Amino acid sequence: MWITLVIVHGLLAFLLLGAVTHQVVSVWAPVRAAGPRNFVGRFRAVGSANYVNAVIVLYLVTAILGSFIYTDYRITARLTLEQGHFWKSFGAFELKEHLIAIGLALLPAYWYFWQASLTPGDVRTRKALTTLLAFIVWWAFLAGHVVNNIRGLGT
Amino acid sequence: MTVRSRFPVFAVTFAAVYAAVYYFAVANNWALFSYGPAVGEWTILNHPASDGPTMFWYGWIGTAALAGVAAGLIASWLPGNGRWLWSGLAWLVPLCAIGAIVHMLRGYFLR
Repeated sequence: MWITLVIVHGLLAFLLLGAVTHQVVSVWAPVRAAGPRNFVGRFRAVGSANYVNAVIVLYLVTAILGSFIYTDYRITARLTLEQGHFWKSFGAFELKEHLIAIGLALLPAYWYFWQASLTPGDVRTRKALTTLLAFIVWWAFLAGHVVNNIRGLGT
Repeated sequence: MTVRSRFPVFAVTFAAVYAAVYYFAVANNWALFSYGPAVGEWTILNHPASDGPTMFWYGWIGTAALAGVAAGLIASWLPGNGRWLWSGLAWLVPLCAIGAIVHMLRGYFLR
């Protein structure tokens, strides 16, 4: 069961990564001119606001599933990391837990600043919140992936 | 003020207070509850499990969420429609909390 949950958790995280990466690229490098676009131009030109609810739902579902899997990690994989002295990976995963917890704090503000008609100051807040959330999601994905590679599935 | 105009004040205050309290909850182990995964045991506050490791992470989130919701509700009912509140606190305080936590965990990366 744990292996299935880890795979589903990884797939959900992958969807979240795609959605939030689209958003962060579009807020830092929006496409202003109309006309023919290459792949990168189309990537930047997505309707970022359409991703907000998906990002929030995916973040919550992925975090809830991860917090359930975390109970098994605590009594199995974590011991492997400690006994193998994989301290940097161990620390990266510890940081992941805290980043995910702090990311939960951002969600109401993130939702609001993607809805409202914004002042210039609010646009900066939206950009910063989206960037911070993207950093959290990228860190969590990579740290989880590295730890999974060390421990393996079902070993 | 309508609920709609109060929400941004709540959201910004929640983000800032939750993140700050989360850091202090981790640093001082202010867990609202604890969990022993080996025995499936939940306890109130930061009590060790009867056997195996104890997880405080859920309790730290609980403490921070409680403080964030309480502060957000209070701030959103204050007069002034949130004009006194800088929206940048919603990302600046969490960013500082992340920096403080990285500093707390630096030992793992310097070994």
